[in-house]
Amino acid sequence: MLLFLLRRIGVMLLTALCLTFVVFYLTNLPAKLETLAKTQAGSRISDAEVASWLERNGYARPMVVRYGEWLGVVPGWTRADAEGTVTGRCYRLAAVEGEAYVPERCGLLQGYWGNSTRFRAPVSDVITARLGATGMLMAWVLIVMVPMALVVGVMAGMREGSRTDRSLSTFAIASTATPEYVSGVFLIALLASSTVGLSPLLSSWGWIDGPVLFQGNARSAMEQITFWNFALPVMTIALYGMGYIARITRASMTEVMTQQYIRTARLKGVSFTNIVLRHALRNALIAPFTVIMLQIPWLLNGVVVVEVLFSYPGFGWTLFEAAVNNDIELLLAASVVAVVVVLLTQLISDVGYVWLNPRIRIS
Amino acid sequence: MTHKKRKATELHPAAQLYARECHEGKLSRREFLTRATALGVTAPAAYGLLGLAAPAARADTPQMGGSLRMQMDIKAQRDPRTWDWSELANVCRGWLEYLVSYERDGSIQPVLLESWEANEDATVFTLNVRPGVTWNNGDPFTSADVAHNIERWCDASVEGNSMAGRMSSISEDGALREGAIEIVDDLTLRLHLANPDIAIIANMSDYPAAVVHPSFTGDDPVANPIGTGPYRPVSHDTGIGAVIERNPDHTWWNEGNGAWLDRIEFVDLGTDPSAWVAAAEGGEIELTYQTTGDFVDIFAAIGMPESEAITAATLAVRFNQEQEPYTNRNVRRALQMAVDNAVVLELGYDGRGTEAENHHVCPLHPEYAELPPLTVDPAAAREMIEAEGLGDHEFELISIDDNWQAATCDTVAAQIRAAGINIRRTILPGATFWNDWLNYPFSSTEWNMRPLGVQVLNLAYRSGEAWNEAGFANEEFDRLLDQANGIADADERREVMAQLQQIMQDEGVLIQPYWRSLYRNLRPNVHGAEMHPTFEVRYHHYWKS
Repeated sequence: MLLFLLRRIGVMLLTALCLTFVVFYLTNLPAKLETLAKTQAGSRISDAEVASWLERNGYARPMVVRYGEWLGVVPGWTRADAEGTVTGRCYRLAAVEGEAYVPERCGLLQGYWGNSTRFRAPVSDVITARLGATGMLMAWVLIVMVPMALVVGVMAGMREGSRTDRSLSTFAIASTATPEYVSGVFLIALLASSTVGLSPLLSSWGWIDGPVLFQGNARSAMEQITFWNFALPVMTIALYGMGYIARITRASMTEVMTQQYIRTARLKGVSFTNIVLRHALRNALIAPFTVIMLQIPWLLNGVVVVEVLFSYPGFGWTLFEAAVNNDIELLLAASVVAVVVVLLTQLISDVGYVWLNPRIRIS
Repeated sequence: MTHKKRKATELHPAAQLYARECHEGKLSRREFLTRATALGVTAPAAYGLLGLAAPAARADTPQMGGSLRMQMDIKAQRDPRTWDWSELANVCRGWLEYLVSYERDGSIQPVLLESWEANEDATVFTLNVRPGVTWNNGDPFTSADVAHNIERWCDASVEGNSMAGRMSSISEDGALREGAIEIVDDLTLRLHLANPDIAIIANMSDYPAAVVHPSFTGDDPVANPIGTGPYRPVSHDTGIGAVIERNPDHTWWNEGNGAWLDRIEFVDLGTDPSAWVAAAEGGEIELTYQTTGDFVDIFAAIGMPESEAITAATLAVRFNQEQEPYTNRNVRRALQMAVDNAVVLELGYDGRGTEAENHHVCPLHPEYAELPPLTVDPAAAREMIEAEGLGDHEFELISIDDNWQAATCDTVAAQIRAAGINIRRTILPGATFWNDWLNYPFSSTEWNMRPLGVQVLNLAYRSGEAWNEAGFANEEFDRLLDQANGIADADERREVMAQLQQIMQDEGVLIQPYWRSLYRNLRPNVHGAEMHPTFEVRYHHYWKS
């Protein structure tokens, strides 16, 4: 078990290293650095000013060396100006963190995640704040999505080919076939517009006080989450993920329901409810469990669209902002977070497997 | 000193001349106000010259209190003189004030200056600092502070300091020229210009000209909010929003004439206007920063009528004359001739503006000269292109992915195509577009307005200027422009201006289809928040009922 965990962590580090190098390479292409200089020093500065900005801010060193700086294996750049004042990567980072001591190396290994050029704040602060916001969103998505998906899947799968199965399957396929950017816009038009959809009707009947039923923008959820401002983004993500999990659950459930031991149970007169809940459910949940865990990284993907659509500043929104503004260190940190999330959920799914199915051994 | 000092009460002779022209109908009232106030005539006096009473600023009595939520991009702050977006300035307007301000009616009003005077040939300007102004840290505001700021503006060694170009008549080798500023006493200073420059006061109303405290050194005016205004920042999160509240520890010099709101919240909702609509429907914003295209009507439909500002802002679909095939004047002229600006205005910008004449001087500008109408002749355009041997050449028109800018360029390209000339459209995302905006062979750039016509010509079309994206270099043009910069008299300057405009047209510098009207949508209970032609958000004059 311990060896398994160690191996997994090793894989995680290696993946993170490879991925961050790729991200670092792509964000440090000369054109990208020029974008960065222009977003930082003025969008209409000249080429000479770009070159001097890059030089003065340590971007002129070779790419591999700077990747080493970021990792913390190469000493950070320093530069003394005409008056003899020394600045450099580590000076700035230490100043931001409020530390008097300036280390020679200041990268990931020393615990420095760097500064976000877009938000002008330490990357670690930005990521923690934004991950917290996405955490809330994800939590509500899982709370809504998983029970709904399992109920739909089990209901559909317990009597294959029945009318319930057909209608629930149609619903599941439709919801999973609709991408977030379609369903989100559709939900806003249906529920959060004062000119089209349901809100004008409800408002003219006097059923709602304001002009709209739900809020089509989740910015106020930053301060306080309410049903009215959070329902639409949560539903948009949940609907997409739900259909998929429901389909897997259904497939797994129908398979279990054809097993010999289920027939035996029926023959000896166990009630249908009992068969489903006692005998079939646990075996049928093994496949969906892996899928749910796999779904979490997928959800992180989906939140980019949904958070931008509903202007909810979470992890996905941060990723979008960082990519658009070529915020190198923020993008690197975001990819590390993504790798950790993917591999961590895989780890949980492997361990959970053992619990659900004692025949499987890890080692 | 060569100039004759005039008393503050005495009117500039040119102002009286302008007033006469205005009476004779040679000058519109707006033009008159811009010009007269630029010469140091106060707005009430200027209205007086016309025999009019200055309009009452407000019909209703403003109410104190309340908080306002406004949609606006919140970008990472930096040193004010390097600001490249009006939004950066707007956040700080509550505490960083300006020496003078440009008003919706085209006049220039004193803010931290009480008045100013120019000598006869606009080479010496006397600035009188407003007495009784204090910084919010308690320091008095003096002429030394003004001198300090002007010196900062002249420092061209700071990357992206766009004020340096605006202060060229008092700077030398990228810094303030020795002896250009003379501090007379605590409340008076004099600027000695190397050459006549009528735009220098108007330039001080531009958004990067925010007046900072002498202790300001960093590049974040939010972290270090020492200013003269009545507000102070509470929070500022790039990409998310900013909160500003009335400063209870500071007595504002203009107490009783503003600072009605207790609190202003700027909400950054990204660039997609449909997200703004959704937020407005949910009651999360009460006014937009700027609304464009169809969204003006969409917002109006949900109970947020629009406020319009007529401006000299435009989209310059310019050729870069340093790049093939646009080095050839005939090619540029031919492409211009294929495009009917009226159609571009109608299809590209929903007719929300006025037609322009390819020379980047607006009828709003005081010195605008009327030229004969442009000829549109697609058949001749095609012939000219063929005569240059470019019949099979595929031209490429590049634009940013912004809604109205892309639509305008699509219309321009469609008309060129209709003339039988091959053209391809390329749309670049904002993140990459600005990387090379100066060097695209044929592309479009958004230009905000400047109060005087010479100002944009100085910035964008003088040889070798940093923002000369057309690569335009014409000795005669530069010479005439220098001449125009020093002519205080209206008709005289218009004569030179007519030549400048003619050169612009003859050389085929750009296709400049229209002058934009700008819009903002706001709830009916928000007052004093009309759209401003230069995008200013003076929230210290907004109030709610």
